[in-house]
Amino acid sequence: MSDEEHHFESKADAGASKTYPQQAGTIRKNGYIVIKNRPCKVVEVSTSKTGKHGHAKCHFVGIDIFTAKKLEDIVPSSHNCDVPHVNRTDYQLIDISEDGFVSLLTDSGDTKDDLRLPTDESLLKQIKDGFAEGKDLVVSVMSAMGEEQICALKDIGPK
Amino acid sequence: MQGFSDGGADLGQLQTTMRNIEVACTSIQMHINPAAAEATILSLSQSPQPYMACRFILENSQVPNARFQAAAAIRDAAIREWSSLSTEERRSLISFCLCFVMQHASSPEGYVLAKVSSVAAQLMKRGWLDFTEAEKETFFYQVNQAILGAHGIDVQFIGVNFLESLVSEFSPSTSSAMGLPREFHEQCRTSLELNYLKMFYCWARDAALSVTNKIIEPNAVIPEVKVCTAALRLMLQILNWEFRNDTTSMKAGIDVFSAGVRHDNGSSKRSECVLVQPGPAWFDVLISSGHVSWLLGLYAALRQKFSREEPYFLLWIDPPDVVSKAIEEGKSESEMLDGCRALLSIATATTPFVFDQLLKAIRPCGTLSLLSTLMCEVVKVLMTNNTDEETWSWEARDILLDTWTILLVPTDGSGGDALLPPEGKHAAANLFSMIVESELKVASASVTNDDGDSDYLQASISAMDERLSSYALIARAAIDVTIPLLTRLFSERFARLHQGRGIIDPTETLEELYSLLLITGHVLADEGEGETPLVPTAIKTHFADIAEAEKHPVVVLSGSIIRFAEQSMDPEVRATVFSPRLMEAVIWFLARWSHTYLMPLEETNCLSNDYQQHHSVNSKKALLSFFGEHNQGQVVLDIIVRISVMTLVSYPGEKDLQGLTCHHLLHTLVRRKTICYQLVSLESWRNLANAFTNEKSLFLLSSANQRSLAQTLVLSASGLRNSETANQYVKGLMAHMTTYLVELSNRSDLKSVAHQPDIIMSVSCLLERLRGAASAAGPRRQRAMYEIGISVMNPVLHLLEVYKDESAVVYLLLKFIVDWVDGQISYLESRETAAVIDFCMRLLQLYSSHNIGKISISLSSTLLSEAKTEKYKDLRALLQLLSSLCSKDLVDFSSDSVEAAGINISQVVFFGLHIVTPLISLELLKYPKLCHDYFSLLSHILEVYPETLAQLNSEAFVHIIGTLDFGLHHQDLEVVDMCLGALKALAAYNYREICAGKTGLVSAGLGNLPEGIFSRFLRSLLQLLLFEDYSPDLVSAAADALLPLILCEQGLYQKLGNELIERQTNPALKSRLANALHSLTSSNHLSSRLDRVNYQRFRKNLNSFLNWQNKRNGWFRFLWSFLNFSMHLEALLLVV
Repeated sequence: MSDEEHHFESKADAGASKTYPQQAGTIRKNGYIVIKNRPCKVVEVSTSKTGKHGHAKCHFVGIDIFTAKKLEDIVPSSHNCDVPHVNRTDYQLIDISEDGFVSLLTDSGDTKDDLRLPTDESLLKQIKDGFAEGKDLVVSVMSAMGEEQICALKDIGPK
Repeated sequence: MQGFSDGGADLGQLQTTMRNIEVACTSIQMHINPAAAEATILSLSQSPQPYMACRFILENSQVPNARFQAAAAIRDAAIREWSSLSTEERRSLISFCLCFVMQHASSPEGYVLAKVSSVAAQLMKRGWLDFTEAEKETFFYQVNQAILGAHGIDVQFIGVNFLESLVSEFSPSTSSAMGLPREFHEQCRTSLELNYLKMFYCWARDAALSVTNKIIEPNAVIPEVKVCTAALRLMLQILNWEFRNDTTSMKAGIDVFSAGVRHDNGSSKRSECVLVQPGPAWFDVLISSGHVSWLLGLYAALRQKFSREEPYFLLWIDPPDVVSKAIEEGKSESEMLDGCRALLSIATATTPFVFDQLLKAIRPCGTLSLLSTLMCEVVKVLMTNNTDEETWSWEARDILLDTWTILLVPTDGSGGDALLPPEGKHAAANLFSMIVESELKVASASVTNDDGDSDYLQASISAMDERLSSYALIARAAIDVTIPLLTRLFSERFARLHQGRGIIDPTETLEELYSLLLITGHVLADEGEGETPLVPTAIKTHFADIAEAEKHPVVVLSGSIIRFAEQSMDPEVRATVFSPRLMEAVIWFLARWSHTYLMPLEETNCLSNDYQQHHSVNSKKALLSFFGEHNQGQVVLDIIVRISVMTLVSYPGEKDLQGLTCHHLLHTLVRRKTICYQLVSLESWRNLANAFTNEKSLFLLSSANQRSLAQTLVLSASGLRNSETANQYVKGLMAHMTTYLVELSNRSDLKSVAHQPDIIMSVSCLLERLRGAASAAGPRRQRAMYEIGISVMNPVLHLLEVYKDESAVVYLLLKFIVDWVDGQISYLESRETAAVIDFCMRLLQLYSSHNIGKISISLSSTLLSEAKTEKYKDLRALLQLLSSLCSKDLVDFSSDSVEAAGINISQVVFFGLHIVTPLISLELLKYPKLCHDYFSLLSHILEVYPETLAQLNSEAFVHIIGTLDFGLHHQDLEVVDMCLGALKALAAYNYREICAGKTGLVSAGLGNLPEGIFSRFLRSLLQLLLFEDYSPDLVSAAADALLPLILCEQGLYQKLGNELIERQTNPALKSRLANALHSLTSSNHLSSRLDRVNYQRFRKNLNSFLNWQNKRNGWFRFLWSFLNFSMHLEALLLVV
């Protein structure tokens, strides 16, 4: 616990601490976990014992939140795991450029132009179609461990 | 093609017909123009009165298929023309068929004979209710003569065969359709069952008996076998008959038998055992005639004859050791298993006493001893070759355990255990010690085959539960021996652990203790299943001679286990002995044990129940009071609490163990008031509460355990004497959470820190605790929980905003509010209610604004479906919230009414529904639970506040109507029922409004719908009732909805009725349909009022209309299909 508090303090002034330690036993389904140095969303947790009279261990199945790859890990449940700091920021979508970047409006009124569109066709289509229909779109950008990606769309236009 | 009717048949014509049919049959077989051939054959059976032709074919044709078709034609024609045939004709048809089969009994074409025989049986059934007894007698005399063997083996076989067809025709499940109402079949069935079935059985038995001797002769295969097989088949068929007749109305002469029979079917069975239930009237035939022994003899003889094995003859199970040895050496086990099944069947039909006496006549000891020895042998075999494969010994063990269970399970419902004779007790004791020995052996052996499976306690208990409770029954049958045995086994193992600590690997002993704890837990105490279990009767009534409580064997055993458990407090011992797995068993045992023995309720009642025998009262009192409030109870409780705290703190990450402690043990403790009184005064309990608020390690418990612990602690406040201290106690427990949440939500940098994993974890943890506490709010602690809830209202909204993308936290927030509102709403005063409602609306709006129109984007289909599931769970929580708010109108304990404060619950709920419904897509309604919640809320709202529907805007209105239509066509009966309820309420409201001269729902700003909603629902409902499959249970609800709909839309109803009549081409049916439709709305003095009487009348009318309509099945649906209601439905869905 003291570890965590240390992180907490450092966070207040410095930039983002990318991960936090957390006891494996407390990580639950739908939470986040770092497996093989990738930020994952936990889709399955099960516990078992090491040997009949041994201690519990947790078996995690996670899905990489950026690449959608499935990753697995086994950790003794009293040990610590790394948990990624996952942030989400909403921006209004201003423009979609031809070279695969989006132009976003930040809360402070600046623009953010360094975010790439997803490469996957169907996702790209969802965004482009919505934008082409002239809806007022807000995009949710998820960031963790130095990567970011659009994770949701929301139509805020007048009904 | 010309018909084949007999009118003036001459020989030439008959021969032509026969040739035609023969040609057709041959060409079908050779696939030459089969359609034409089929038409020829069909025309025979469809021509009027083709009997002469058919007889001619049957008697003269050389083509077996032609004869077969002729028989089929007789059947079809006779069934069709039955009512127009004269009695003489009917009789002659049947006797022709019977004579035919008898005469041609030796014919090689068995299938023709079987067909003719079955035709005879069907015609016999068709005329069953018309024929006089004498006429039936004539037929059966003929059959009986055949079966007696008067005309040779072949005829005998045919006779039995005919009876088989007849019985199967009369049994509802195998009868053929005759186009008659069900009542006809029922009457035939009853008549046969009461008057003939037993007679047939005797005939079959006699037939079998008559040929037995020949079969047993060691000759080669002989034709008698055929008769014997058929007869046995018929006997089996008769025994499998679904007997319905009331056994109590039978003659009094058979009481001797029924007195020994038990009529309980409650006991569960692992092994299949079909119980024959012909009822007491069959006693003389089945039991006393001694033909069981004949059957057994036959069985043995046949085995001897055909397989040339060593004969086991009558008892395949005796002597057990020889039998089991023989099987292990490669002999077939099937006789042994059959023998076990026989014991099971006997046990099902008798009391333990009768069971034990059964073999006394031929053996020195009783059946129970035999059963015990037999099972011991089986267990021995199990022990020696312990594999995972299901061997015969597994099966035998299961069958025999069932036998014991059936014998020992208390039958009188008073909970009294069955009493065994002394010899039986001895047998049970022997068996139990053998079982325990084997279980221990299995346990210690299992240590080495570590398959790494997650073999945790709950799973293994539930897998073994049935077996364990059977063991417990056996142990309790000889309780005075088995309890000391268990004590001894425990102390041996404790000693072994103690001596070998640090030297020998204790794993085997640990596993043995694990097993012993499970067995002992089952022997000593029952599972409460939500009720408070009592001390088992066997334990209460035995040990009569023990006056000193300390020496009571149960006290000794419990004491030794508790002392052992207490050693886990020592860190050193814990590290070497108390593995998480063993600790799980300890906690499980303590929970089960303390539920029954710790400060028992009976303690106080015990003194007043003096009418029991004096000596047993003494020992019972000693046992009950030993762990009571004023004796050792408090000490033991303290030990248990300390052990619990230790498992929570000292076993980090052991979720299963901690789960057992929280959900099982601690919950059990706070469930009883007597224990709560003690708990709150215990130092150790205060320590637990302290650790809960301050100790970091308790923040590491898993979420469900966190919640459960908070709930437990709050519940324990019921042990405080007044509500003021209780509220103070709860506030003290919860203060840390509210403070933290308020401070967090006030932080200026909330947005940037909130998503740090550590903060998320703390927030989730506290919300789980709040939720647990909220669900434990009772009247006494309600104030404190109310204040806690109010103080976190704003933080909750803040957090909902900040964590809007963190679905796990959002769900926790919603669930906390749901549980909190649910616990509070009925107690709140009007002003408080207003505040809570206002808060809930803000919450709903905020949630809705975050989620409406939002689309998740992810590459992973798993994550997308997870996101959908999360959304479903959220919405379900919101619906529950609305339901809770709704309940304020029904259950209200406050001093003033809500209306006083100007709150209109209905509007609030409608407003809520307005916010929530756009989020509920038809897609999401496919989740059954959400669907159920949604429709129960909707139907409730529409029933109670139909008027507010008119106030919704048209978009929301159309949406709700759309979902209603969706629900009407749902598969789930309950959903449809709720929708019908909602529909009834809506239509009735509308009708009343119109009657009162108001506009009703239709014109209330809803004119933009393509058609009035009621006319659409009228069509939709009629469509459902007339043309779709629906459960008969829905008819009443449908009637209640239909009546007001018809009243609202009388014009349309007339039009639909006319359309229905117009489609009808047959004039006779046309008028009957018109009449039926007319009487639907006019019979029984149906008026146009919507009162209870009128609803009832309409239910009756609709029922009789639908019964009439159901008879006219088939063509009806077809004719109406082009009215095409589905178009209207689609239009509706498009609008939505």
